[in-house]
Amino acid sequence: MDTQHAVADTAPHEANEDGVESRRDGTNKITLGPGDSIDGKLNYNGHLTVQGQAQGEFRITGNFEVGNGATVKALIEGSNVTIKGDVEGMLTAREKLTLGKSAKLSGDVTVKRLQIEDGASFNGHVRMGSFEQSSGS
Amino acid sequence: MTENETSVVMLGPRDRLIGELYIEGNLRVSGTLEGQIEATGDVDVTEAATVKATVAGREVNVSGQVNGAVTASKKLVIGRSGSIVGDVRVPRLIMQDGASLSGNVSMGPKVAAEFAQAAAAEAAPAPVEMAAAVQSATDGETAQEKSKPKKR
Repeated sequence: MDTQHAVADTAPHEANEDGVESRRDGTNKITLGPGDSIDGKLNYNGHLTVQGQAQGEFRITGNFEVGNGATVKALIEGSNVTIKGDVEGMLTAREKLTLGKSAKLSGDVTVKRLQIEDGASFNGHVRMGSFEQSSGS
Repeated sequence: MTENETSVVMLGPRDRLIGELYIEGNLRVSGTLEGQIEATGDVDVTEAATVKATVAGREVNVSGQVNGAVTASKKLVIGRSGSIVGDVRVPRLIMQDGASLSGNVSMGPKVAAEFAQAAAAEAAPAPVEMAAAVQSATDGETAQEKSKPKKR
């Protein structure tokens, strides 16, 4: 992830002249701690980490991470999605979805790359490769 | 009892099988396979293999192309060069980065319980002991196999 930032920093970006926050890979970051919860719709230009409870619809330009012990019931869209907790809902990872050892996921996923570690649990349909159609809706 | 006498079937890169295959033992495929395969032991689909079949085994390793439903009573490993198009039913699934999968995935304790039930139904009189005995026998065998590399 550090290398990604480094690349983004050095690469000239036209949209960057006014604000740093409009950077495409999203250097902004929200972290919801174990006691925090969110219920609703979030469109966010950056990374989101959930360690508590989350419900609703999350469209993230950066990476989405569900920590160990977290419970998420939501429509999720992100670049790299990493799951270590419980997740229920439709999920789109524009780059890669990673299910950690303690992950429990139920729902249909659309991903470019998928990695599942031993111990993870997953129930649902997998679609890999092109996902332009679903991201348009 | 000759029950722990298991076979190891290998299909080389130029071999081809079209039809139905049932093996009491392990299977290693490097060639082309079409139809239905079931092994009581482990199934290995190597990088060179093209499988258009339903695959059932205890531990299934996929590094090649599989087009069809895959069930594994113990676990399924999809290697980085592996690709499965079809539904997957396994208690445990490991998928390495780079692997490809399209289809429905059912897994977890529920599926594991189903397999255990099926195994118990098959070995009706003393299901648990039987399963354990077979398990330890095959484990011992694979350990032996590993200790001395395959040469024939």
